[in-house]
Amino acid sequence: MPQHQAKRLALSQRQAALILLLPFMVVYGLFLVYPFFNGVWISLHDWNLMAVAFNPDAKAFVGLQNYERVMWGRNITWGAFASPALQVIGLLGMLASFLLYRSGRAGRVTAIAMGLAALLLFVLPGFHPGEGGRWYDRRFWPTVGNTILFVGLAVPGVTITAMLLAAALNGETRAKAVLRTLFFLSQVLSVTVVTLIWQIMFSPRQGLLANVTELLGGSPIVWLTAEGFAMAAIVIATIWWSLGIAMILFLAGLQDISQDLYEAGALDNATGAKAFWYITLPNLKRTITVVVVLQIILHFQVFGQSHLMTNGGPNDTTQVLVRYIYQTAFRDSELGRASAMAVFLFVIMGAFSILQFVLGREKDE
Amino acid sequence: MKHAILGATALALLATGATAQEVTLGRFFGDCENAGTDTKASVGEACIIQSIINAADAQLDGVSVNTLPTDWGNYYDQIKAAYAGGTPPDVHVMHRHRVPEFAGIGALADLTDDLAAAGIDPSDWEAAALEAVTYNDRIIGVPMDFHANLWHINMDLMDAAGLVDESGAPILPSSPEELLEHAAAVKAATGQNYLAADFAQFPLGVRLVLALVWQQGANVFDGDTATLDTAEARNAISAVTQLFDAELANPQLNYADSQQAFLNGEAAILVNGTWVVDFYASEAANTETALSNYYAADFPTLFGDGATWADSHMWAIPAPLKANDPETYNAALQVLAFINDHNIDWARTGHMAVRSSVLESAEYAALPHRNEYTGTADIARDTPPSARYGAIQDVLNREFQAIWLTGKSPDDALADAQLDVQDLLDR
Repeated sequence: MPQHQAKRLALSQRQAALILLLPFMVVYGLFLVYPFFNGVWISLHDWNLMAVAFNPDAKAFVGLQNYERVMWGRNITWGAFASPALQVIGLLGMLASFLLYRSGRAGRVTAIAMGLAALLLFVLPGFHPGEGGRWYDRRFWPTVGNTILFVGLAVPGVTITAMLLAAALNGETRAKAVLRTLFFLSQVLSVTVVTLIWQIMFSPRQGLLANVTELLGGSPIVWLTAEGFAMAAIVIATIWWSLGIAMILFLAGLQDISQDLYEAGALDNATGAKAFWYITLPNLKRTITVVVVLQIILHFQVFGQSHLMTNGGPNDTTQVLVRYIYQTAFRDSELGRASAMAVFLFVIMGAFSILQFVLGREKDE
Repeated sequence: MKHAILGATALALLATGATAQEVTLGRFFGDCENAGTDTKASVGEACIIQSIINAADAQLDGVSVNTLPTDWGNYYDQIKAAYAGGTPPDVHVMHRHRVPEFAGIGALADLTDDLAAAGIDPSDWEAAALEAVTYNDRIIGVPMDFHANLWHINMDLMDAAGLVDESGAPILPSSPEELLEHAAAVKAATGQNYLAADFAQFPLGVRLVLALVWQQGANVFDGDTATLDTAEARNAISAVTQLFDAELANPQLNYADSQQAFLNGEAAILVNGTWVVDFYASEAANTETALSNYYAADFPTLFGDGATWADSHMWAIPAPLKANDPETYNAALQVLAFINDHNIDWARTGHMAVRSSVLESAEYAALPHRNEYTGTADIARDTPPSARYGAIQDVLNREFQAIWLTGKSPDDALADAQLDVQDLLDR
């Protein structure tokens, strides 16, 4: 910037930036940073929602006791093969990330991230109550497990469906434009509407799915109350609901791929599925990373689908972390304990955010 | 000119402010769009209560009532969050079982000395109703009903199975063994299920099992001790699960589906509350509904003593309103008095009235099916008072559902429920 202009403005670039950023900082601080630290503060207290509202002195500082009550237990021990299936997968994961790094198929950061995830998978399931012991809260870890299962099903489901749809609908015909809009429409619905639609779809008495099964001569599945189907049901509803954004991201990614690549590929006989596998997919790698990480962060916060469609049942199989936090805070009025769980959720999502940040930078190099 | 307009607006605002004191009202019972103000014509809980509220809004001088949007399933979460945020509704409905939780921390206004001036006579309330709204010897609410689980019966299916006596009343089982026999008889005669209830969503199945536990003189907790893992609980559960095992009842139906099954003539008996008597009576009169011959019976005694799950609806005013805003408090009391005056209209739902004068009236006795469940008031029961009631119900609902929906063994489910309820009582 020429010097005489800067003098006339009487504001340095730094000052201007600060002023322009101020409104954002104030709102961000007030509505995100402050509540976050307040939440951490509450998690260190025995804090009854209603009692504290009527008498601010009704809370008591308990340090980390809420965390202990939620996550720990009596006589908890660790064994290398306490839950063999998960821990063996963890061990194999660590081996695989090392080998991938050595053979140059994975970057250093990717390998470290994978290795860390595998290490956690080896270490965490090893904790279990020893003789005469028990978890203080026997529902917390199964609830975390359900949430991870939900994320593990919904994220690949959304990603693959959205990618295939985007590939099919990437073009300039009118029909494709109409279909793109149609597929995106579900995204704008609120969770109450989505769950209502799908409750009707899944209803064994009047639902579309039941009618189809009956037409084919089967007896209808009671999706929402059958142990093996309830989680699948909320995953299906979620995929239908959150397809839109992922599809748009993939469409943007597809349009970034140069047509020249396809022309060159066609000369070498790579068309259709081959072209998708050898040209489209590798070029979408970055978009896939973004979509996957965004979806992971989003779906860890699943609440409405579980709360409204299955009430967390049957037998807690669809109980998820945010619903547990909600119930603990509002049904049980135990704000401190609920905040401790919320901080735990924050750590998980924070880890994935960092992962996204790191992966994004690695590609830039 | 500008000042004149502003002044006139301010005056107009003052004038309307003086003529109508707005009272915000929170309630569950569901939505009713066009309830009107005729408290004698509406059908079903939602429309009857809304017609009473609309009538209060129209007829009370200087009081306007604004019904806040609330959701049945999350009602208490919403109300508690509103209290915590300092903005509870000026009057709100609640259950007797929530009194320890709300009154225990002083959230509810003490109405004892203000009822008479508002035109509410507590001496007209039944003793059990007065007890329901009393906490530490003070009256903290206005009772509206007793409600309880009934057996709603399709008499045509019962008749086909030979389960109707000479007086035209249904023959109901008096033991778990007889329950199974009756259920098999209905299946053999009609091909339909004997019993339906919401075993999959709301805790109606829990209330059924609880009644059978109480009938054996046991309970699920006593003071600070969980007493769930007992032989009585196993008996109660197996009385129900024997029907599922023999495919004489379907545990996978939720509230709406089980009700639909009953109305479609696919179940001889529906276990549900008093709140649907007028609705089923009107559906039975509807020629398009398969159910045409409806009877509302007391919950039968399968074990030693009669018992059925029961609770009360009541209206309360937040303590801060009484302390900080006497004008709105007085208006809120008028709304409660109006609801209390219309106890007979609320009883049209099928609920039992709380006022002796109403209970003794000819109009009350003439309500449809009323003479069929006169024994219910005497066998009404509930779990002991606890600030953890909601959470305990959820534990029972989860573990019992696990038994009939996922095949968890009763031993494991009761052991887990025992631990969880004890944890809740220990907190």
